[in-house]
Amino acid sequence: MRIWRTIFFVLALAPAVTRAQMAVRIPPNVAAQLMVPQPAVDNSQPENISATAEFDPPCVRPGGKAFYRVTITATENSIAWPDKIPAPPELRFGARAHGQLMQPDGTPFHPVSGFVCEITATNAGHFVVSNLVIWVGGRSLEIPAASLDAASQAAASPARKLSLEVSDTNLFIGQPFRVRVILPATSGKRLETLREVQFNGDPVLTDRMATRRSVEAVNHDGQLTPAFIYETVATPLVAGTLNISAQGFTAGGEFGGPMVISVPVTIPSGPPKNVLLVSDAVSLNVRPLPTEAELPGYTGAIGKFFSDPPRLATNRIHLGEPVSLNTTFHGKGDLTRFVPPALPASRDWQIIADDPPDNGFTLIPITDEVQETPAIPFSYFDPATAKYVDLSIPPLPVTVVGERLPEQLPPADDEAGNTEPLKLTGLAATPGKAVATLTPLQLRGWFVGGQLVPVLGFLVLWQWDRRRRFLEAHPEIGRRRQAIRALRREKIKMKIAIESGSSTAFVIHAAEAMRIAVAPMYPANPVALVGGDVLTQLDQAARNGRAGETVKKIFAAADEQFSIGPKTQADLLALAADVETVLQQLEEKL
Amino acid sequence: MNWRPYLLVLLTLGSAMTVRAAPTNDFFATGIELSRAGEFPEAAAAFEKSAGIRPAAGTLVNLGIAEWLRGHAGAAILAWERARWINPFDPRARADLKFARRAAQVDEAELKWFEIQSTWLPPDAWLWLAGASLWLAVGMMTLPQFFRRRKTGWQQVLAAAGLGIFLACLPANLGVISRTNLGFVLKNDAPLLQTPTRTGEVISTLTAGEPARRVRTRGDYYLVRTENESGWVERNAFGLVSE
Repeated sequence: MRIWRTIFFVLALAPAVTRAQMAVRIPPNVAAQLMVPQPAVDNSQPENISATAEFDPPCVRPGGKAFYRVTITATENSIAWPDKIPAPPELRFGARAHGQLMQPDGTPFHPVSGFVCEITATNAGHFVVSNLVIWVGGRSLEIPAASLDAASQAAASPARKLSLEVSDTNLFIGQPFRVRVILPATSGKRLETLREVQFNGDPVLTDRMATRRSVEAVNHDGQLTPAFIYETVATPLVAGTLNISAQGFTAGGEFGGPMVISVPVTIPSGPPKNVLLVSDAVSLNVRPLPTEAELPGYTGAIGKFFSDPPRLATNRIHLGEPVSLNTTFHGKGDLTRFVPPALPASRDWQIIADDPPDNGFTLIPITDEVQETPAIPFSYFDPATAKYVDLSIPPLPVTVVGERLPEQLPPADDEAGNTEPLKLTGLAATPGKAVATLTPLQLRGWFVGGQLVPVLGFLVLWQWDRRRRFLEAHPEIGRRRQAIRALRREKIKMKIAIESGSSTAFVIHAAEAMRIAVAPMYPANPVALVGGDVLTQLDQAARNGRAGETVKKIFAAADEQFSIGPKTQADLLALAADVETVLQQLEEKL
Repeated sequence: MNWRPYLLVLLTLGSAMTVRAAPTNDFFATGIELSRAGEFPEAAAAFEKSAGIRPAAGTLVNLGIAEWLRGHAGAAILAWERARWINPFDPRARADLKFARRAAQVDEAELKWFEIQSTWLPPDAWLWLAGASLWLAVGMMTLPQFFRRRKTGWQQVLAAAGLGIFLACLPANLGVISRTNLGFVLKNDAPLLQTPTRTGEVISTLTAGEPARRVRTRGDYYLVRTENESGWVERNAFGLVSE
């Protein structure tokens, strides 16, 4: 009983002492610190701030360059650095650089700021940059004096500085290029690393994700020297002649991350001496990208790229089923800034890009009418040829299977007595009746044009009938035409007779031709006509002249063919020209 | 002169030019094989290619079956209507249309009296019949005169019959022309738009297989009139029977 009472008591008090698990709410400042580690910085004791100043190297030849370097143990933004430093007029000031470093020599970190100014001693002499008072965090700080000796017999020890190398100096806007900041080892192959490397000058975008640090042997002053190399990828952002330089703090033996060391070196131990070093400027010639002939799908990729043939997981998918389209791009050089093809707009596909670094897509068909995947335009700019190159992903054939419809329906209630279910018929075994096109003849022009054929036929018939009736009313027309055709035939025969030298045949055909020529004028059958009938049709003058004589001779010779007596052996072929004249006169009357 | 053998030859030739049996082609055979294998999208594509080469009633019936079984009610109904356009006596097309309309809950197109008359024969047959009957009548009336023959009784009867058939064919031909604007909605829930633009206001949506008449064409859109309303529909969502 006591146990039950205890249980009841505990259960009754439970709501008061327990509560639902709540999501942990992190304050925004704490969340920011979780995302990006923010070490605390020691700036609590301004009176402990110190400053050093030096010339590097302290001795130069006249006209030689040295660096005036000031190091202050304070944050950079707390220092009011003067625009002009009081110095002898023989010292000419050049490029300046400044930077800040957090020294992790305990907790909290100690800030170190560096100011470097390139100085050229125009004349020989001993020059002093006197002590200088500046304001740091609202308090004054004295920068100690520093001196530079310029003498012609000074040892030629160059100032310690960085080397800057770039992979290409002729570039296009947005074209990534590799940049190397080199810090050669000092004497004894003592190597120091660099920290807080940054680039000064005209705007270039550096990619810290592509940063690589290594120790390699480099050619320094004509001999192979181990060097610390800070390598990264930079991208020019504006066109024109850009000048960039590098700066960085020496960090002794601090590696601060993985590093490839391929040559024997001596790594210094002990706390590093953080010295701000700078490099000479490098000039870059940056051209804008050509706007003409830009291809679709250009996402800013510059370089030389290739792609493998796209692969579709399957080419037979169901409606709404995702399918992955994989494609791989290769390139010469850096691919960290490679922007994959943009998603094309499609009414038939839902397209989802895979998360980087993958360049694939997930495709979901929205309709089952599509027969191929959407083409995905992509192009890049090849700086070697200064042309855009198409690298689009072509459409791939695909079959999308939709939802099937019913093949059979139950019999409808309103169909009295019909208990057979309604269903689809089977497939037709043969194509059956076919037509050339579904467009009906009524809408095709050729059929209307074809109706002109019978119309033309009837017109021809009508015209033929009209002509026939006309010729029946005027028979002389027919006779004349018939005579002209017959006369033409006889002339040909006459010509053949002349050519063959047959006088007899010539006479017969000449007489026949004359009879044919005058027959329609009577009208009479040519066979029934004689020479007198021909003479009658000649003019009076012709009849009494040479033409009449010719007719008489021809008909006399023709009649002589039938004579049983001796035949005259006259050369009648000589009359050919006269016969032609007579026939011409008679033909004109036809 | 005996004209009857010539008339018979003319009519036979006209009929042969209009409708003839199509030979089985590779796409048709492929479509049948794919249909039997249950690959209906591929079968529909094969039948569509076969019909594209030479539209045939049997091919279109099979195309309709393949489209129906892949879930395209609108395309199936259009294919069967086209089969009936070629051969109005095709029993398969008729039965499948009846089945599909009941399953898809869509109505048959409402036809005018002369359009109904035009469905009695294939569309081209009406024009051949009209042309042949007209020229028969004209010939019977004029040829005896040309050939100086006396008009006989049978010639006059033929002329009158030809003229009568020609006049009877006129409404049917008009019906054929009118039916060329008849079409069917291909896609389910196809939007009927206020304007022929992609962003046009949607008046309503149309059911796949629903009949409509084309009124006008503008770009990629048809202005169509359904039983109850008018509006613009995308060309790829609407198929004409005679296209």
